[in-house]
Amino acid sequence: MSAELLIKNLWAQVEDKVILKGANLAVRSGEIHALMGPNGSGKTTLAHVLMGNPFYQVIKGEVLYNNEDLLAMAPDDRARKGLFIAFQYPVSIPGVTMASFLRTAVSARRGYEKDHLMSLAEFQKLARAKVEELQVDPAVLGRYVNEGFSGGEKKRAEILQMALLEPEIAIMDETDSGLDVDAVKIVAAGVNRMYEASGKKMGVLVITHYPRILKYIKPTRVHVMFDGRIVTSGDADLAEELDQIGYDGIRAQYERVAAEVVGEGEVRSAGKVFWVQH
Amino acid sequence: MSDTQPVVTSALSRAAVERHSAAAGEPVWLLERRLQAWEAFVRLAPPAATDEEWRRTDLSALDLDALQPLLAAGVRKATPPAPLMRLVGDPAAAAGLHLAVDGTPIQSWLAAELVRSGVVFAPLGEAVRTHADLVREYLGSVVRDDENKYRALHGALWSGGTFLYVPDGVEVDLPLVSGTWLDRDGVLLSPHTLIVAGEQSRVTLVELSASREADARTLINHAVELIPKPGARIRYVNLEDWGRNVWELGVVRTLAQRDSTVHTLMVAFGAGLVKTNVESRLVGPGATSEMLGVMFGDGAQHFDYHTLQEHVAPSTTSDLLYKGAFKDRARSIFAGLIRADYGAQKTNAFQLNRNLILSDGARADSMPKLEIMANDLRCTHGASTSRLNEDQIFYLMSRALPRATAVRMMIDGFFAEIFDRIPLDMVRERLSRAIERKMAEA
Repeated sequence: MSAELLIKNLWAQVEDKVILKGANLAVRSGEIHALMGPNGSGKTTLAHVLMGNPFYQVIKGEVLYNNEDLLAMAPDDRARKGLFIAFQYPVSIPGVTMASFLRTAVSARRGYEKDHLMSLAEFQKLARAKVEELQVDPAVLGRYVNEGFSGGEKKRAEILQMALLEPEIAIMDETDSGLDVDAVKIVAAGVNRMYEASGKKMGVLVITHYPRILKYIKPTRVHVMFDGRIVTSGDADLAEELDQIGYDGIRAQYERVAAEVVGEGEVRSAGKVFWVQH
Repeated sequence: MSDTQPVVTSALSRAAVERHSAAAGEPVWLLERRLQAWEAFVRLAPPAATDEEWRRTDLSALDLDALQPLLAAGVRKATPPAPLMRLVGDPAAAAGLHLAVDGTPIQSWLAAELVRSGVVFAPLGEAVRTHADLVREYLGSVVRDDENKYRALHGALWSGGTFLYVPDGVEVDLPLVSGTWLDRDGVLLSPHTLIVAGEQSRVTLVELSASREADARTLINHAVELIPKPGARIRYVNLEDWGRNVWELGVVRTLAQRDSTVHTLMVAFGAGLVKTNVESRLVGPGATSEMLGVMFGDGAQHFDYHTLQEHVAPSTTSDLLYKGAFKDRARSIFAGLIRADYGAQKTNAFQLNRNLILSDGARADSMPKLEIMANDLRCTHGASTSRLNEDQIFYLMSRALPRATAVRMMIDGFFAEIFDRIPLDMVRERLSRAIERKMAEA
């Protein structure tokens, strides 16, 4: 089954602050995209808007998921249809064990009727396999959701959830931040294995501030986000280049283009940066 | 008057007290005690609405004269009604079972080996005759009849309830279960539960009560006395799922002797109004009291719990956790007092009340209070009232859980802290079922 996530001129705000200002991006089955950009450029907002976080309001634009209006769906619909996001700061839920949460989640994703669950034996077998694969401490299943987890444990637990829910399109929001290099390798290996296991059908959007994780998860496309827009895209080499010139170099080019767009309202580019005024 | 039918008198009166006592064949000392209580009832004024304890729970709409006192007489063998069977569940999971309908016992059994070891588990009215000396010694030794007008009424007209006596050193593994079903309305039922656990003994009593949903106001006026002797362990569970026409006034009081341990769990799901005092007096060194409460209110339910953790002797421990979830226009009051008397050194006292508000119209007030006269102790108390956290709901929904499932999971999670402390599957199952039912109701 092939999946397609199409983001078209997406504008969104948090409270009164407009964060996304016309984001465009397409992620399809089998593609691995990296979305880079400085802090505050709107990467995390994009991820939350895609998952339907009610805290963020879409102002305009559209997002199609397999030709359906994603923005009209409740978050759980999106998840059941195969969209997944590994959160940068997953919340903790005291009193709810990971095992009971994950069993309910996997059952919902696999289309079990409301209030029906996959058998405990089947779930345990599945969970044990994934826990081993991702080198997560199995004791995590008996703990409350993210409660008292270290930063690294939270990130790994997110990837464990991703492995269990088998998404069509997975968004990883700064999964690498706060992880040491060994943990990044384990997480990356896990994602690569999921990708292979899907018959290279899973689509992945890796949101990251640093190019480090892209050494282990090889992107097919790299995008740079600035001030709520994707301002430049390229192949894997763009990440390397960014590592050298830094976001400041991009920023200078972007500001020049922005000034010209304001003046002339046209398609503009300067160096790597382009901007289509809609 | 048949002794196999409930006795119904036309009004509350001294004559009714006398008739009831005579019909039940009670000894003179008990009749005298009832008449004294009746005099106290007549003498005492109803609690004033300005009284700190009563200012949030208004009983002015309660018309005592409109109530028919429901008085058990004898035992009426009958098949338990289906709702009572659902309430008590599988009798095989119990070491003894009492069933009562409209205040009259219909079934009563206790495992043979417990009978042989001297355990008494009987309707209190029956125990008055069969174990007169024991009952006389302990009845009213913890809860007095003249404490307030309603307790006086209870003392005069108590009927039904349970007497549980465990001899020294006897340990009962399975819980004893008592189930009460009320089919009538417009009545006054005043059950009395008395547990005496001998030295180094151990026992669990689970009391479950429910009633048919009806129109006329019914008053349940219950009293529970828990007496653990040195080293004894009592676990007492009280789960009510009364119809909304029922108002319940009650007191559950423990007098904990040296090195004894008492666990109480109060569960409130039903009734229109509940006003209960749950009190532990730790009078023996080394005594421990765990006090748990679970409330789930909806509609216009009103739950008022006043708790007392009173440390009289040194080196005593009390640990209270009351948690409530409230939807629609439900209202909760929790007033918890920790008191450490002079000389109650090395006291450990903990108190926590947490409330979850599920609808804009619901409200929970929490009033923790300390009175500390000792100077060497550990004491913590806390209270919080919060709403469902939308970030958590979003997180669960992002993992494919429909909103209703996510909310249900969070409510289960909210109560998990208490559920984890209840080592009784039958109680946990009932809690879980009741929460599911409450959440399913629009």
